[in-house]
Amino acid sequence: MLKKRLIFTLLYDSGYFSLSRNFRLQRVGNLKWLKENYNFEYISRYIDELIVLDVSKEKRDIKKFSNTLKELTEKIFVPIASGGGIRKFEHAKILLDSGADKVIMNTSIFKDNDLISKLSSEFGRQCIVGSLDIKKEKDGYHFYISNGKECVKKSIDQIDNILKQCPLGEIILHSIDRDGTGQGYDLDSLSLINKEINIPIIISGGAGNSKHFIEGLSHDMVDAASSSHLFNFVGDGLKKAREKAIENNVLLAKW
Amino acid sequence: MNNPKKIVLIDYGMGNTWSVISAIKYLGFDCELSNSIEKISNADYIILPGVGSFKKGIQNLKDLGLFTLLKNKKFLKDKKILGICLGFQLLGISSTEEGYENGLNLIPLKVDKFKFNVNDLKIPHIGFNSVHFHSKDKLFLGLKNESDFYFVHSYRFRYDSLQGFIAYCNYGEKFIAAYHKDNIYGTQFHPEKSQNNGLILLKNFFEI
Repeated sequence: MLKKRLIFTLLYDSGYFSLSRNFRLQRVGNLKWLKENYNFEYISRYIDELIVLDVSKEKRDIKKFSNTLKELTEKIFVPIASGGGIRKFEHAKILLDSGADKVIMNTSIFKDNDLISKLSSEFGRQCIVGSLDIKKEKDGYHFYISNGKECVKKSIDQIDNILKQCPLGEIILHSIDRDGTGQGYDLDSLSLINKEINIPIIISGGAGNSKHFIEGLSHDMVDAASSSHLFNFVGDGLKKAREKAIENNVLLAKW
Repeated sequence: MNNPKKIVLIDYGMGNTWSVISAIKYLGFDCELSNSIEKISNADYIILPGVGSFKKGIQNLKDLGLFTLLKNKKFLKDKKILGICLGFQLLGISSTEEGYENGLNLIPLKVDKFKFNVNDLKIPHIGFNSVHFHSKDKLFLGLKNESDFYFVHSYRFRYDSLQGFIAYCNYGEKFIAAYHKDNIYGTQFHPEKSQNNGLILLKNFFEI
């Protein structure tokens, strides 16, 4: 049986790993800190996948980011998806040469479909993860691009058509309003994804404890659940969350 | 080690080489990333990794002059070759990914897209899935039957009881998860991405 996936997301902001709340960042520590005080190598043994996103608000430095990615992933033997600011073919190539197995695309889904097609025909569509940043507002859901700064001015139907034609291998559905709040996933937002699209969905934004992971992973549309909260799952946090999920009949891999 | 094993990872521009090198080094072996015919000729162990499309993979091997080299069973005689994911598929007769393309023809089966009637199963097949061993191959030493390994693919070798197919996986249909015959090895899953299970398998390969 195909297992569900527990994913941890690291947010990189100009040399520092950060906590995010509704896309506002708070720097926590650099790579050295992550390795020493956070014992990331140990933590990585309890996840099915790692996402590393460059969410730098200042000018992005892909060279520096990819070197960090390389060093970070040296002793981590799970799939790694990475992205943030990929605007050119070369950006994706650098990340794929630095430990990433998949690249995460957001803005290009709406602004540069050709780039996604090019990446897909070179690396296969299984290599392209589309990240959809969504916000629930008074008049319904809205999609955001460019690090959550710009609202996509398109109807849900138009977005549905765009997603149907875009050669993606997976979708991350990330709630901006739940981001960093620890209030649990926005499972209602899953209705935004047409079932005909039929590719794996990663739910993200809002996980604060193991109960949230279990809720997310138990939903039949969800293939994977992610958290980026560096402190909620510190120490044995991810190990315990994983064990709890298995106790609650979530089908997770064992090794 | 008196006689260190020469391991060459083929660099043909088809991704994720860093992860494979990291895993091999973590296991305590030395490994060289190269596309030089001379270095590949001197290797004891060749790894053909790969993420990407079949057509592009074959094209890159041809451009580097490696296609005819690797196709030659005599050249591989004193070596062991392991294909991973796309690298495994390239060892087959052909694939229908993005139009028909011939493979290295070291494994007597064709690669096709998943074909099943289960409507709600998603393609690509992504995630950890149980691998059923159906022979006691040395590659699986120290691993329990039905161990979990990480897959990410839309094309596969359909299940066949041909000699050499040492493990299968189930995703809407049975397909080949691992192969070993003579000196040719392959896995559809990514051992370098499968936590401890994958590290055990890689170690076994280098100790055969």
